[in-house]
Amino acid sequence: MQPVSSPPTRPGGLVAAFLASLLILFIAGPVLRLLLDATPTSLAGAARDPELRASILLTVLTATAATGLALLLGVPLAWFLVRARFPGRRLVAGLIELPVVIPHPVAGIALLLFLGRRSAVGGVLANAGLEFVSHVPGIVAGMLFVSAPILVSGAREAFHGVDPRLERVARSLGDSGFQAFRSVTLPLAGRGILAAALLSWARAVSEFGSIVILTYNPKVASILIYDRFTLYGLEAAVPAAVVLLLVAVAVFLLVRLLQRGHETA
Amino acid sequence: MIRLEQLTVPAGAFTLHNVSLEIPEGAYTLVIGPTGSGKTTLLEAIAGHVPVRDGRVFLRGVDVTHLPPEQRGVGFVYQQYHLFPHLRVRDNIRYGLRHGTQSPAEQDARVESLAGMLGIEALLDRGVGRLSGGEQQRVALARALAPRPSILLLDEPFAAVDPSMRHLLRRELRTLHEREGTTTLQVTHDFDDALRLGDQVAVLSEGRVAQAGPPDQVFRFPNSPFVARFIGAGTVLAGVLERSQAGTEGDPFAARFQSGALSLEVIASHEGPAHAVIRPEDILLSRDPFPGTPRNRFPARITRVERTGALAYVHLDAGVQLVAVITSATADEMQPAVGEVLHAALKATAVHLV
Repeated sequence: MQPVSSPPTRPGGLVAAFLASLLILFIAGPVLRLLLDATPTSLAGAARDPELRASILLTVLTATAATGLALLLGVPLAWFLVRARFPGRRLVAGLIELPVVIPHPVAGIALLLFLGRRSAVGGVLANAGLEFVSHVPGIVAGMLFVSAPILVSGAREAFHGVDPRLERVARSLGDSGFQAFRSVTLPLAGRGILAAALLSWARAVSEFGSIVILTYNPKVASILIYDRFTLYGLEAAVPAAVVLLLVAVAVFLLVRLLQRGHETA
Repeated sequence: MIRLEQLTVPAGAFTLHNVSLEIPEGAYTLVIGPTGSGKTTLLEAIAGHVPVRDGRVFLRGVDVTHLPPEQRGVGFVYQQYHLFPHLRVRDNIRYGLRHGTQSPAEQDARVESLAGMLGIEALLDRGVGRLSGGEQQRVALARALAPRPSILLLDEPFAAVDPSMRHLLRRELRTLHEREGTTTLQVTHDFDDALRLGDQVAVLSEGRVAQAGPPDQVFRFPNSPFVARFIGAGTVLAGVLERSQAGTEGDPFAARFQSGALSLEVIASHEGPAHAVIRPEDILLSRDPFPGTPRNRFPARITRVERTGALAYVHLDAGVQLVAVITSATADEMQPAVGEVLHAALKATAVHLV
């Protein structure tokens, strides 16, 4: 029997390798093309651009806030979905993944209807001083909506990897449920949760569709890039696009590093 | 002391039914049963890790049925030990001491003392990832014993170690039990553990206690064909009992037990369908006819001879399949050959009916 790792030599294998390389080229090509367009001069210009700098800072801060909220609310939910047995568990698990299949402008409209001043929830929150539409919280809401499923899914996988009997042993050694979670479960699932948080953060940074409907101004980086492209053309959009791409690549590399560490641990 | 009253515990598709058991203070008790009989679920119910549907759990005379695990004062060692992989050996053993009143120096002393007792001092500063099965077992035991629980629950503690280590650990566990005086409940699927370790044994079958008592008592007098077969008490034959002697109502009487082509004189207390347990050591073999008094004498053809160290098991066809045991020295003298027909004998009182 031929080992799985040997190079494909049959015609079928060659066809599969050709088709696979087409997709790899399709993904790597545009990324490399954009990176090649970034010259030191254009990047230095981008670094001096106050609007771009403010936009990147806003994106990083709002994405961090959205990820923080996703961690605060999503980690307990992920733990419940993995460890607890309750009626409607599958429904909740399905519901939390729903934003993945909703077109993002549709998510933006749904959020607008739910959090806008004229809605019941939005009205109460606006009276309490928390405005979403055309305000920074609107950006965080859009980011949270699309990135939370990534965090919950990653955290679920991380909790699945922790044998519940480890928690039981900790309980028999005197830990309360929360102490066992803090001392055993969280340290063991921590790396997986961190990787999920980074992916969730990266997804928040790249969000456009829902934010453009909820809060066009102040502009996050993705909206600024779109804005410059439509107003001034491709050349004006490239430096900002490269900066955002570099942020995304850095996060991607960090996640891969964490995942590799987890596999070898 | 552990007392279980009519305990019913659902565990997925499986349910532990009406289990009642009493384990005296300081006793070493074994629960044995085949895979899926509910052994681990029973331990987890005592430790408070699975919800009880019905019945009550008493530990040290206190009803703990609704107490969380951390308030039960029970040490627990799982089959795969479940050491905390993110902690060193020392921190694993120290884990349960964090909730006590001991100073860090006293905690260190307790960890060192247990490590010394179990011969794992050299491992204290290692991670748990590269420990052998035997080392993991010792660390898990030390961790469970560190907070000085008065009750220790062990889930198949020898399952992940090789046979030579198993023998050693069994001896160490018994010594440790005598030194610490902990009431110990161990589950196993091996009756040998019960015979060597236990003051008491309970046999579980499909979520119910099939028989409980001192190990030699259960071994000598199994109360059902299942128990007899599971503990390897001997050959179990299904047959029918017919009274062969009139007697007083309620008293044991002489009867004939018919199983296939084999007919045996036995002492019975009822008539009708029954199972007979015949222990290998109770079957006598000879090339010459038996001149003495055994009531049961029959020819038996040798189908296989199996030598295991000091003993040789002789598989026989006497109309039904039987197994006899002789010493290796006797086997050397006798040289039993496959196909040879021997004279076999069995006392009527040696046939245990269930």
